[in-house]
Amino acid sequence: MLENYCSYIIRQPVISAPVFLNLLPILLIWRKRAYNDKMFFILFVYLILKFGVDLVMFDLASQRKNSVLYYNLNIPVRYVLTSWMFYYKLDYNAQRKWLMLSWILFVAFSAWDIIHTNPSMGDLYNHKMVLYSTTLESLLMLFWIMLYFYNTMRALKIPNLLTYPFFWICSGFLLYYSSLLFIAPVLHYASKWDQWMDIGSLDYIPYAFETVSLLLFSIGIAQYTGSSYAK
Amino acid sequence: MQSNEELKLGLLIASIAMLMMAFFVIMFVMYYQKKRFEEEKRISDIEKNYNRMLLDTALNSEETERRRIAQDLHDDIGTMLSLTKLSLNQLSKLVANSGDEKEESIMKKSQSLVEETILHVRRITRDLVPTTLERFGLMEAIEEFIHKLEEDNNLVIAFQSNTEEFPRQGQKLELTLYRIMQELVNNAIKHASCTKIDIVLEIDEEMIGLRVTDNGVGFDPEKIKESNLAGLGLLGIESRLAIVNGTVQYEQPAKGGSSAIARIPVNPASGNKPEPLHPFRRERVNI
Repeated sequence: MLENYCSYIIRQPVISAPVFLNLLPILLIWRKRAYNDKMFFILFVYLILKFGVDLVMFDLASQRKNSVLYYNLNIPVRYVLTSWMFYYKLDYNAQRKWLMLSWILFVAFSAWDIIHTNPSMGDLYNHKMVLYSTTLESLLMLFWIMLYFYNTMRALKIPNLLTYPFFWICSGFLLYYSSLLFIAPVLHYASKWDQWMDIGSLDYIPYAFETVSLLLFSIGIAQYTGSSYAK
Repeated sequence: MQSNEELKLGLLIASIAMLMMAFFVIMFVMYYQKKRFEEEKRISDIEKNYNRMLLDTALNSEETERRRIAQDLHDDIGTMLSLTKLSLNQLSKLVANSGDEKEESIMKKSQSLVEETILHVRRITRDLVPTTLERFGLMEAIEEFIHKLEEDNNLVIAFQSNTEEFPRQGQKLELTLYRIMQELVNNAIKHASCTKIDIVLEIDEEMIGLRVTDNGVGFDPEKIKESNLAGLGLLGIESRLAIVNGTVQYEQPAKGGSSAIARIPVNPASGNKPEPLHPFRRERVNI
């Protein structure tokens, strides 16, 4: 098994890197006890869940098994958890209500998308990546990030953004979802077991920016100081 | 095959454009936020300077008005009272020659009333314009102020300084310290029901410290500020200190009473000796 893992890491270093890099922000949150803050607690849960899913997918990929099912199931969970962080950062109740409504609608839509893309759910060998959900998730997340940035610029509440953890976390998400936005629809055709479409190195872009986003999360968490953050 | 290559190229361009936009957004947010904060700080500094100038002007006007009143009191009322005293002295001689005891008694009473009024006018004039401060400096002015207070009240006022020769400071700074000391001592007498007041004047290379401690009932400055009870006295102290970059701190000593410490950066008097404050000259004060 270890040989398979090593071989996969050597063959796919760009895809393997973010799997293990998940541990960096997780350990930082743990060490800084940032989980005491609600927003960081959600990030902590998200990262642990992501690490678990990534590990399972890594294990299946190293054994040359189809792991797309886990990716598809992870999409609605990932959206709810990542956007939940914004729930605590948005200033207006109306915006929070829209955010909560988006959870319900998105979960329903992605469930439909999984079923629509894979009519025979039992066939795990030919399970395909969702067609619209990832793009919609990217669009929604980009919208919440831009809204948060707009609120931040308007309110002028944060004197120095470079020392504000959530700014780094937002920047990480912004880069990740920007890299995913146009590639996500093509991944549906590229991630098939049979008759797949070769998109070459484009396939690696989301993984590379996933690594970048994890590094930005880590920088943000490193800025966290329990006493001053709440103020 | 060609369409696949075109698709890849298109996707690559779109992704790069999107990522560049994301970078641009992050940079823009940082830049815009920084600029807005700098702008806010600049506006706040302008407002602060403007308020400071207003305060400065108000205090200058107050000092000018004090001088004008002191001058009028001395030149007009003081002169008239002196003339009245002279006339009464002459009249007193005439009354003494007439031998009427009742008239003589009324005359003596009138003379003593006039003398008392002259003393009052002189005291008010000196209170309005601390001439000793300008002529001899802060320590002498404080000592004179204490001496006068002890005469009029049953108070023990102790004054000490960490230096024998207190170096002369800028006119504005000395007047600020003197007025603050006056205000703090008057507050202690009026509100603290104290029997003892300690005044300590300290100077080091950078700061001058003025500490006024009383053994009265004490007060909580935060509560007074929160409940909008801060009288003109405390606000006046803070306003005066704001002009000379000073600070004030109130403490409640464990043994009771209250203590106020004003700290002001040292500002030695310039080489030219300042024009002495004199109630008899009509001039505008620029402290």
